[in-house]
Amino acid sequence: MALAAARARNDVPTLQAVASVAAASDLISARGVSVTMGSGRHRQVILDNIDLSVPEGSFVSLIGPSGCGKSTLLKVLAGLVEPSTGRVSVAGHAPADAARRRMIGLVFQDANLLPWKNAVDNASMLLSIADPTLSKAALRERGQAMLDLVGLGDAAHKMPNELSGGMRQRVSIARSLALDPAVLLMDEPFGALDAITRDTMGQSLLEIWERTGKTIVLVTHSIDEAVHLSKQVHVLGIKPGRIIETLDVPLPYPREVSIVEHPDFIRLHNGLRALLRDSHRPGQPS
Amino acid sequence: MSVQSSSVTPREMPAWRFVTDRWLPPVILSVITLLAWEAVVRIFAISPFIVPAPSAVAEALAANWGTLLQASIVTAEEILLGFVVSVVAGVALALLIVRFDWLGRALYPLVVLFQNVPKVALAPIFILWFGYGLAPKIILILVIAFFPVTLSMLAGMESVDRSLVSLMNSVGASRSQILLRIRVPHSLPNLMAGMKIAATLSVIGAIVGEFAGASDGLGYAIQFASTQLDTPLVFAALLLVSVLGIVFYYAAELLERLVVPWAPKFSGR
Repeated sequence: MALAAARARNDVPTLQAVASVAAASDLISARGVSVTMGSGRHRQVILDNIDLSVPEGSFVSLIGPSGCGKSTLLKVLAGLVEPSTGRVSVAGHAPADAARRRMIGLVFQDANLLPWKNAVDNASMLLSIADPTLSKAALRERGQAMLDLVGLGDAAHKMPNELSGGMRQRVSIARSLALDPAVLLMDEPFGALDAITRDTMGQSLLEIWERTGKTIVLVTHSIDEAVHLSKQVHVLGIKPGRIIETLDVPLPYPREVSIVEHPDFIRLHNGLRALLRDSHRPGQPS
Repeated sequence: MSVQSSSVTPREMPAWRFVTDRWLPPVILSVITLLAWEAVVRIFAISPFIVPAPSAVAEALAANWGTLLQASIVTAEEILLGFVVSVVAGVALALLIVRFDWLGRALYPLVVLFQNVPKVALAPIFILWFGYGLAPKIILILVIAFFPVTLSMLAGMESVDRSLVSLMNSVGASRSQILLRIRVPHSLPNLMAGMKIAATLSVIGAIVGEFAGASDGLGYAIQFASTQLDTPLVFAALLLVSVLGIVFYYAAELLERLVVPWAPKFSGR
């Protein structure tokens, strides 16, 4: 659905060569993606031969120890890092093109709001750059609608220093959603929040996902978060960064916070924990 | 003041408590110091030529009030003009350095090199080039005060979070857009801090400029009074220089409150 809408939005023909790489239902596909940095003795393989498919409308988590390159992988998908080898397509476009077509919404660990703008103006800030033709009123309206969506409708006129960490992160999610992207790429968005706020934010994210049908790729180091939220979890290992296992989470939606007591949750949680222990063992670069 | 500020804000306590807590201690200390100073000078019969008593300074101030007021206006004008010129030049330089990489690479080391030239030593040269009027003072203030403005604004513009820049890049923002919509407003709190330093340096610049060669102003009054061995008058003029310095500093601070009310503040202890 989002794919069709994205194609309808622009009349430029899609690059067939790139589009054909992706299976029909995959919004994001990465094939043989490697990222190396430095050269000679300092050459370092950050990501090694990554194959990744994210079906449209799915919720996928990338989990792994520090230094496994999960954030780098997300940046590759966002078009912020160019892979050394391999192909990536997002809705049939190269990632940087997809970003320019407003198909990619980014959320980082730091909300990075502009402290001199209120919540609603922060929420429409990226949209105002992406679409300079929009009037101030239209931007406000869109910003307000997105704040309503993330549950911050009443706080539109608050300044960032009047908002809590969780609320700031909600504004940052609203800011990305304002672009109406096909996919939300989130890099440890709740990593700086306390445990209780984290749970509420995860729950809200699920609601937003169910309501908007966006495809979500979430980088996290929290096993709970990965199992609680996603349909599929990719476990990454270090040295070099690679996908060592892909797990489906067959728990039904809507999921409540109480899902952590479900036997299947516990089984998956334990399985992931064992995998993460393995993930610290360096592998042989292929 | 930020709502998250942990210190007790004036609004939350009665007015008399604010006066007793904030103003009374420095006032009491000043009165004690002045009384002790007066007493020491009288008891040990110290010559007013070496250290004048506060009462003698007050007398000198009253006796020369018209001249000193006139001199203060001249000096204030130099400070204000010099300060404005320094800020405009400092901001322009910072913007050029950030906007054009090659220009930044060319200029920055030269600016740092120039910063190491003792500016005070340049005063006689400026007098030689530009005469005894307003111009050499303005130029001296400029070379002394532009640097903290440029440096603080650069620091502010370059401390923008990388992921925010990534976010802007991802929607195709141009370099100028990132500069104008993110970097410049982000740098305003730093710029304001730099301007407060520049305000203080402008006072020094004006006085040094007048020392090097002038026919009016408080610096000139100080020099004239010391050649006449009129130490109480020197102190009276110094008092007025300090008053000017305080006025300009707080004017810069007021400007800060107006321009960046959203910036985190140090509590006014």
